[in-house]
Amino acid sequence: MEENEWNNMICVAGEGMISPLGFNSADTFRRVEELSADPSKESEGRLYQSHFGIPEPFFASLIDDKKLDNAFSTFSDTKFRYTKLEKAAILSADQAIRKSGINPSGKDVLFILSTTKGNVSLLGDLDGFEPERIHLWRSAELIAGFFGNANEPLTVSNACISGCSALIAGMRQLRQGRYSHIVVVGADMLCKFIISGFQSFKALSNELCRPFDKNRKGLNLGESAATMVLSKSDEAPKGSFVLVKGAMHNDANHISGPSRTAEGLLRCLTEILTETDKEDLAFINAHGTSTLYNDDMESIAIDRALLQNIPVGSLKGYFGHTLGAAGILESIISSYAVKEQVVLRSRGTLELGTARKLNVSVNQGVANGKHSFVKMLSGFGGSNAAILIKMI
Amino acid sequence: MEDLVLELKKKIIEVLNLEEVKPEDINENAPLFGEGLGLDSIDALELIVLMEKDYGIKLANAAAGRDVFKSVKTMADYITANRTK
Amino acid sequence: MKGLKIMSYCRITDASVIFYDREVVVYNPKDEDPWLLQIYKAKDIHYPKFHKMDNLCKAGFLGAEMVVNDDSQENKENWAVVTFNRSSSLDDDTSYQKTIENADNYFPAPSVFVYTLPNILSGEIAIRHKIMGESVHYITKEFSAERICEAFNDLASDGKIDTIVGGWAEYFQGHVDVLMLKVSVNEEDKQLLTINNILKLWKI
Repeated sequence: MEENEWNNMICVAGEGMISPLGFNSADTFRRVEELSADPSKESEGRLYQSHFGIPEPFFASLIDDKKLDNAFSTFSDTKFRYTKLEKAAILSADQAIRKSGINPSGKDVLFILSTTKGNVSLLGDLDGFEPERIHLWRSAELIAGFFGNANEPLTVSNACISGCSALIAGMRQLRQGRYSHIVVVGADMLCKFIISGFQSFKALSNELCRPFDKNRKGLNLGESAATMVLSKSDEAPKGSFVLVKGAMHNDANHISGPSRTAEGLLRCLTEILTETDKEDLAFINAHGTSTLYNDDMESIAIDRALLQNIPVGSLKGYFGHTLGAAGILESIISSYAVKEQVVLRSRGTLELGTARKLNVSVNQGVANGKHSFVKMLSGFGGSNAAILIKMI
Repeated sequence: MEDLVLELKKKIIEVLNLEEVKPEDINENAPLFGEGLGLDSIDALELIVLMEKDYGIKLANAAAGRDVFKSVKTMADYITANRTK
Repeated sequence: MKGLKIMSYCRITDASVIFYDREVVVYNPKDEDPWLLQIYKAKDIHYPKFHKMDNLCKAGFLGAEMVVNDDSQENKENWAVVTFNRSSSLDDDTSYQKTIENADNYFPAPSVFVYTLPNILSGEIAIRHKIMGESVHYITKEFSAERICEAFNDLASDGKIDTIVGGWAEYFQGHVDVLMLKVSVNEEDKQLLTINNILKLWKI
């Protein structure tokens, strides 16, 4: 790496997360590794009956409310009342900020919140919160405000690709030199509103989801908060991760059905990868929601981009689909995997069955000295995103 | 049966927001999906809701609906045979 | 001088639709049709999917329809859609909530749920005009010419996108507030995209 190239490097200076598998990245990753190595182990996801007042049962990975409340009250003695989403977001942001060593209240720091529905559960029951609390910008304000940051935060609400959209927006802010550090927080919490909606789409499976599998029946939902602190650095320490390039493209096809020829996702992949980049790919962390159409579409994009031999996997079998948190959560877990030189098992995948043949990691593998990965996502509204992330 | 066919046409127009279509425009034997009205996957899901809400018939998924929703006539036949409301 | 230029704009409020400084449609309180439908008919648009959209998408779609003014169905590879608002999809969220609120009348509506994401607006615009670059939706507390200007400029500075359709599209509690822009990188003698120029159009 030439010295003058450092100046444009967008580094992950810190990361953190709150998930059903662990209340920080290291614990969560350890649990993921355990589940990856041993297919007989059960995960935190389970079937809920009559939960959230929803008549139909659903399979999901939920964060224990009491556990989160305890963690938050141990962390802060604030008298201000935060929602579940805000608590998890703040805790994950705090972890990331501490690791990065930045001063979060600095004028040179911008907070970006990635969320699809924010505090939407308040629509059914305000629960003593003020009506404005439903607004996504209000949660963003409170999260940034907790850390004493006075810059107006930006909120990205771009369906399932929000996490990647937020990271790309952060990269651009840094390249323009407006800020020195960006705190990108992704969070979504499940509730009747969200789950009933996916049920009305008949998009859910009531068993563990099966990404890329011949018998896949739909997705599992999950909840999480995950944060990355991005900094422009000319001294990225060895072992740290860099966001090399990101791209987003719309299929221009249908608001809820992916393009049958993967137009948008293909453009994302070809835009972010040079031939040299492809040689260093340890794996592609796909969206892999386990719906019939999404997984087929991703297989077509990967195949058309001539990446069909690169190991592919989905993390939805560990976390479920965490909506606005997904892009950030899954990028962090993938970076931990690259650091350990592990190619995680695509949990839930048993027998391959997508439109095009892929090298899905049905078993856990090794990264063979490769240090990059692609995080890709697709979402409602026809949006697609892919980011190339590399370990220095 | 004729009443049900007309009733269905009106409901389809209302539930699927087909504002520029009148009941007379819909041929009861014409395909609803693909050509004809060119309905899509979300429309199919709304028809599943319609079946349950107005006629008490529960369809498990869109695939189960494929034959039922071939045309207004096939819908009417299915409803007549299976309605609980 | 080359730069990101405002090629066209459309301002929709509860009272009227303004396009290029002229009022092209005015709200008729005596018309039985709701305001957004009045605009659709007045502009002689034929796009049946319009009637399936929620209010936010209808409002933003109409603004985009005016500024793009291009029926060609060719893929616009170097175009992008970038939208902003304050209330996200709260108007449609409220409609969807009604379908699940009552245990005795519990029928979650998929055609309403699909619009409970604010970025569907950018998706509908992308589909209508075959826009295959980026599509993204941001939320801010208030209308922010600064944020709009930043987002458009940052996107264009990557070098891949030369035309952006977007701006502010808000529909909340029955009120419409839209400023749609079409901006392009070129040397034409048009207004530069600046915070002040955006504000001037907002205040029209």
